[in-house]
Amino acid sequence: MSFAKPTTLSRAQVAEFEREVNVIRESVMNKLGQADVDHIRSMIRISRASEIGGRALLHFGLGPLSWVAGVMALASAKILDNMEIGHNVMHGQYDWTGDPALNSQTFEWDIACDGEQWRHSHNVTHHTYTNILGKDRDLGYSLLRMTDEQKWKPRHWFQPLANLMLAMGFQYGVGSHDLEIGRYKHGAMPKAEFKARLDRFLTKVGKVWFKDYLLFPALALWSAPRVLAGNFCANLIRNLWTYLIIFCGHFTEGVAIYREEDTRNETRGDWYIRQLSGSSNLTGGRLFHIMSGHLSHQIEHHLFPDMPAHRYPEVAPQIEALCRKFGLFYNTGSLFKQYLTVMKRILTYTLPPKRVPV
Amino acid sequence: MPSSLAAIAHAKLPAASYSSVHQLAQAVNTPLVKALRHPWVHSIVRLDAVEVALTALHPLLSLTDVRARVVSIVEETTTTKTFLLQPNALWAGAQAGQFVRVQLEMNGRRVERAYSLSSRPGARRIAFTVKRQDQGLVSSHLHKAIKVGDVLTISQALGEFTLPAMLPGKILLLSAGSGITPVMSMLRDLKARDYQGDVVFVHVCRALDDLIFAAQLKALADDFAGMRLVLHYDASTGAFTPSVLAQQVPDLAERSSWMCGPAGFMDAISSYWDAQGLASPLFSERFVGAPVLPSTAPGTPVQVAFVKSGTTFTTHGTAPLLVQAERAGLSPKHGCRIGICRSCQCVKTSGTVENLQTGEVSSAPNELIRLCISTARSDVALAL
Repeated sequence: MSFAKPTTLSRAQVAEFEREVNVIRESVMNKLGQADVDHIRSMIRISRASEIGGRALLHFGLGPLSWVAGVMALASAKILDNMEIGHNVMHGQYDWTGDPALNSQTFEWDIACDGEQWRHSHNVTHHTYTNILGKDRDLGYSLLRMTDEQKWKPRHWFQPLANLMLAMGFQYGVGSHDLEIGRYKHGAMPKAEFKARLDRFLTKVGKVWFKDYLLFPALALWSAPRVLAGNFCANLIRNLWTYLIIFCGHFTEGVAIYREEDTRNETRGDWYIRQLSGSSNLTGGRLFHIMSGHLSHQIEHHLFPDMPAHRYPEVAPQIEALCRKFGLFYNTGSLFKQYLTVMKRILTYTLPPKRVPV
Repeated sequence: MPSSLAAIAHAKLPAASYSSVHQLAQAVNTPLVKALRHPWVHSIVRLDAVEVALTALHPLLSLTDVRARVVSIVEETTTTKTFLLQPNALWAGAQAGQFVRVQLEMNGRRVERAYSLSSRPGARRIAFTVKRQDQGLVSSHLHKAIKVGDVLTISQALGEFTLPAMLPGKILLLSAGSGITPVMSMLRDLKARDYQGDVVFVHVCRALDDLIFAAQLKALADDFAGMRLVLHYDASTGAFTPSVLAQQVPDLAERSSWMCGPAGFMDAISSYWDAQGLASPLFSERFVGAPVLPSTAPGTPVQVAFVKSGTTFTTHGTAPLLVQAERAGLSPKHGCRIGICRSCQCVKTSGTVENLQTGEVSSAPNELIRLCISTARSDVALAL
């Protein structure tokens, strides 16, 4: 795996690509209206109903069937809250409505990650520096080695285990991401700032633990173990699902990784191409797309982060056609196929780079 | 001090606008809202979730919003309708002359318009009157889509265009066109308070069929001893000028006056008042929206005001507002600086800006803009 060249297209072609992508963007952004806000409100309604139903089944149900149903309902609620609602609202996709409940800067979601910290590490860092090695901290989440260019260290032998741990505790991975522990350890962050960030993170963890592992079990009295176990499993399912979808966004085969020096003086067209080449999609039906928060359309999301996500399937054929026209690779595949390539990558870079014989 | 300006102390004061139902509602929901906003409660149950549930139960139910059900719609003229509403228990009452902001969602977006209440304080129903503007987004919607039984969200009563508690002995209520609404509320209030002084109600409009509240005005004129009604129809008697007013109301210098109408009309009266050096006070209610400043050429230096922090600076060149603010020594919150992360997003309360990415120039008040991709094309005020 070597770094992607900035692009093989000529300057004129990049400018043309930029123009055409902008046209696609404006065609959707200009017709946002009632249907869009109705969609997100419907998702919020379903998520809340699912949560209430799920918690009620865990709380009042007897027997394993109601427990499983409760866990599935609660997990679905948490997944919707995390992906279709939380991620998209915090991207500013619904700021234009003027509804304070949908404002990106004040929205808070039900995972062990503080909204403000996420907005910084995701909206600012990840989306601006997508796939630039050394700048996009989502490349391996400071934990996994995803490309040969990342320096191999002996701890990477444990990469498959680290990957499993990250998957199971994904909400904590996302939550602690903005702490930038590495930078602090290297002395590049003042202690006061690190402590402030740590406090913010731990406060949020405290809140979600209080809710799922203290309050609701306590309210269930003698059913406390059942509720505790149910909440834990619902969180686990959500963690695994979000890990799966998110890892298939930038770690599949064929995704381009960039050197910082190659991305200086980027035009908007260059930025579009980097966003496209650094992302990959997943195929599926409408329900799958909704449950993935439309991150199955990672390419469209990276081109248009503030476009309401349920519009991505609408523009995907146009983007794909544009890629064909300009000879650009449109990376897509089934969840199974894409994740297999992600696993292959994780296992490959567990191993140190082969020494080239002199 | 002339006796006519002496306050009429024995006029009845307005009935208390805080009904016991309202006080009970406030007593219940203030601590409830405070609890729901607490960070730890908020992470379990959100206030907006409770609001959605309450509204689903009954459209008037809310912990934070004043809602009002339309109980009757009256066609005053061919272009004007009065909406009579029954508000929920959160309604804290209004003084005569105040207005409410009516909040609607149109095509997914929240919009707000201010309408003066024409009902008097203490009336069973509150009322506002809307003139349908040709290009009016909200006025057209109110006319076409709102039916009896619909529930609207409104603000509490706002505004300083009100009658004092101690009423002067002589009053002039002057209005033109749809400016009649707040002064109508005042007139009704005066009658209800059994005003013993002398009030002249002067109204200007095109013709009789444009006269809003025609029947009510006639009934009031018959009933209210201290009131003199002067109606001026432009179509029949020519334009209404300050000298016409002086002819109709010779004792202007002794009358405390309240006026509301189009800007040009009020400016002329104001200038006349100043020119004549009239001792009596003249209060006015501006009906028009915030003035739309003409868009200047890119790069023209303009004033940018950070309203909350109280700082102001002048722009130089065509750089985006974020850069301009930084050059002026300020450090607004920012992120990617290329218009995608929304960290620099804030409310532009007034002024014209150009979106550097789309080329769109917008003067809408209270608009969300991203500082890193917007340049000022007129004086701008930001809620920062």
